[in-house]
Amino acid sequence: MSQLYAGLPSFDAMLLRTLQYAVPVPERDEWLRVWQSEIWHLKHRRTPRPRTTSTLAAGLIRDALWLRTEAWKRALAGTATLCLAILALLCVAFATVALVLTGSHQEVMLQFGNAYRRFLGEAVIVTLVTFATSFRRHVHHASATLPPLRRQLFFILKSALVLQLAFLISADVCQPLHAAFPLAHDILQTLVAMVLSITGLRWGFHDQETRCKHCLTALQSPARIGRPSHNLLEWNGTEQVCRHGHGRLNLPEMETSWCRSGQWLDRRTANHQAA
Amino acid sequence: MSTRLSHSAALILKALSLGFCFGFDVMEMTGLPSGTVYPALRRLERDGLVTSHWEPEQESTRNGRPARRYYQVTPEGTSAALAATERYPLLARLLPENQV
Repeated sequence: MSQLYAGLPSFDAMLLRTLQYAVPVPERDEWLRVWQSEIWHLKHRRTPRPRTTSTLAAGLIRDALWLRTEAWKRALAGTATLCLAILALLCVAFATVALVLTGSHQEVMLQFGNAYRRFLGEAVIVTLVTFATSFRRHVHHASATLPPLRRQLFFILKSALVLQLAFLISADVCQPLHAAFPLAHDILQTLVAMVLSITGLRWGFHDQETRCKHCLTALQSPARIGRPSHNLLEWNGTEQVCRHGHGRLNLPEMETSWCRSGQWLDRRTANHQAA
Repeated sequence: MSTRLSHSAALILKALSLGFCFGFDVMEMTGLPSGTVYPALRRLERDGLVTSHWEPEQESTRNGRPARRYYQVTPEGTSAALAATERYPLLARLLPENQV
């Protein structure tokens, strides 16, 4: 590794040594090689304008950070962790708005305490109704290897965050009415919270269905399969795949008596069918 | 479907298609700062509009300098550069073909 810094001025070598830790390990050697070369050429090239390391410093820093953020994006895109983190962040953001609108923590408790207790009761009913009326159509053809507990835990956490978010948004949206029209405020907030809860929970069900049954990553690369004119002979619809190759989800465009539901095919089942 | 490029990305792609193959050369040619050029090159490479490869070691050793990383425009990049030239007519004036 020290060979990489050979021939570089001490400041440049220190910059590279420090910033290399921002670069993901698999790409670090390549990144060091690129920048060692770029700095060397900067120092040894005759240009009309004098060039110093500061010319490249911004590029060096942003390049390292770009590689790091890309690695995070690749690792986190569509994962259950990212979904929960975004919902939690939104909750924090809307809670902060509520705090700013009311002025203090005590005022938040005073204004929204009763409404929140009422909402908890409503949330149970809304959840039960949404669960009972949700259009769940995907059938697991093969036994999923992910323990069902993890899937259910993710769903419970997601639903809890969605309900919190629905309450916080309704509180923020209706807060300006609180002082002038307390009764209208209560009714409106309840209605807004209910509508948002139902919408959010329905999204939660849909999101759960379009995730890999093994790793809970959002399925991607939707592709149209079949033709609508062949509907009586074979299924047509959309196919989505897990980016980790765990399986695929076939969603028929049209419900038929022989193809009523979507099908989750894990890799083994899919391979077996193909053979 | 052609990729929609930002003005900076289009400028960089244009410089690469004119034969300026190294990050530092692209900076010199376009006048863009390094903080714009290098991340843009990464993005273009990720999107398949450019590819990169290392200069052969023999060549760099013969010239007594470290090997450099070449960037090359892919066929997709060429069509994106053409579309960008139509979208940003000033590109052709900023980097005229006869400047090479």
